[in-house]
Amino acid sequence: MKNDERRTRPAAAGPSLSALTAAALALPGLAQAQVETDLLYSRYEEADLPGSREANGQDSERYEIDTYLFRLAAPLGDQAFVANVTYETLSGASPWYVQPRQPGVDDTPVQVMSGASIREQRTDVQLSWALPLAGIDWGVTLGYSTEDDYRATSGGIEFEYTPQGVAHTISGGIGYSYDKIEPERGASSPDVIAEADKDSLSAFAGVSWVLNAKTVLQTAISYGLHDGFLSDPYKRAYVADGPTLVADSRPGEREQFTVSARLRRYLSGIGAALHADYRFYRDDWDIEAHTLELAWHQMLAESWRLTPSLRWYSQSQASFYAPYYQSLRSDGLASSDYRLSPYGAVAVRVDLRKALPDDWEIGGGAEWYEADGSYAIDTVEVENPGLVEFLILNLRLGKRF
Amino acid sequence: MKRTILGAVTVPLALACSACVTIEPVQPWQRGDLARAEMAFEPDPVQAAYRRHVEFSKEAASGGATLSGGGCGCN
Repeated sequence: MKNDERRTRPAAAGPSLSALTAAALALPGLAQAQVETDLLYSRYEEADLPGSREANGQDSERYEIDTYLFRLAAPLGDQAFVANVTYETLSGASPWYVQPRQPGVDDTPVQVMSGASIREQRTDVQLSWALPLAGIDWGVTLGYSTEDDYRATSGGIEFEYTPQGVAHTISGGIGYSYDKIEPERGASSPDVIAEADKDSLSAFAGVSWVLNAKTVLQTAISYGLHDGFLSDPYKRAYVADGPTLVADSRPGEREQFTVSARLRRYLSGIGAALHADYRFYRDDWDIEAHTLELAWHQMLAESWRLTPSLRWYSQSQASFYAPYYQSLRSDGLASSDYRLSPYGAVAVRVDLRKALPDDWEIGGGAEWYEADGSYAIDTVEVENPGLVEFLILNLRLGKRF
Repeated sequence: MKRTILGAVTVPLALACSACVTIEPVQPWQRGDLARAEMAFEPDPVQAAYRRHVEFSKEAASGGATLSGGGCGCN
């Protein structure tokens, strides 16, 4: 789970200069006057993998996830405290490896799913503290996530600074996470590793501009460095000429870099806000990706907000990825994970929220997501058969005190 | 490579230009629209956090104007 709480909550204090400036430049919610609580329930369902892409010719069920996310944001004088707690349960089957449909006869790659249905639960707690110090707004975040086989302990420091008399805000942050995995042995992973870990460092820097009375723009760069076990212990890769199945094996280090921009434009004539986000991504596994998202926030009779949005994503493949291998690579790397394959994806979303008396709020939404080779920027010659399609439905309840 | 670098540079610029403006001085009393909840970079932090988690689990790319938290064993 990522942390963006401090910059995301618009100030809700009285019409003071600091409150207006804070909201306009998306500063931390230091000036918020109310305790805010939100509960989100989300149902995630992946579409069945069709038999035409499965090695056994049968449709295969995939993941279903129920998520409960609770958020508490409380002002403490000129400081603020934010807690996020996530609990989710997962069940279903996961892609295991890819093989030719009929080796030597039909080279079409088909998916083999994990043998047994996976059942798992995850709990994630993120605590943030925001405070002003020496004219700069600071935020400190600590996080802990635990699953049956995975634990992550993370922390970070962020800042935002608006120089006097200018129309921009400078922001930045640095974070660290230590992740440890202790895989469970099962029918699909009898020889899985006992344990492994990784260190992750992330950093970003950005500038937000008030372009005019109705437009704000944020540009940012980010950097990520991961060191340790970056493979998937439960996945395998198919090698035609070698030992038939080998463990998923990826480099022990990964550097990631992004350039992004977010534009917000208010259209007062129709009471709507247009959001346009773009991100370019590149890493040293040779993956490049583009993400473009457009959202329309339409206010309806002041108490309703309807937000349709469209997201497009495209990525190239990792240098060592293949649906399957004819022979082992000289460097020993091997992965058939669809997440490292070339593909594109589109997502269509709609959210509806309504403010109720006594500072209550209810809402709900839906998202449909489909990954497909035809959505990619570049032509995908061989599509991974495990590409995912899913539907998300969510309900939410909020209360301000 | 040239094309991707070109895209990385031109698309953010295009977004900036799409505002069709140069930076204009904005007085505090003119910031009412900017202070609206729907004008925040992330108007809904709960929903945004959830979506980032899903995208992180299903796509190779991650990162942006926010810190990354810990990972997960998500498949």
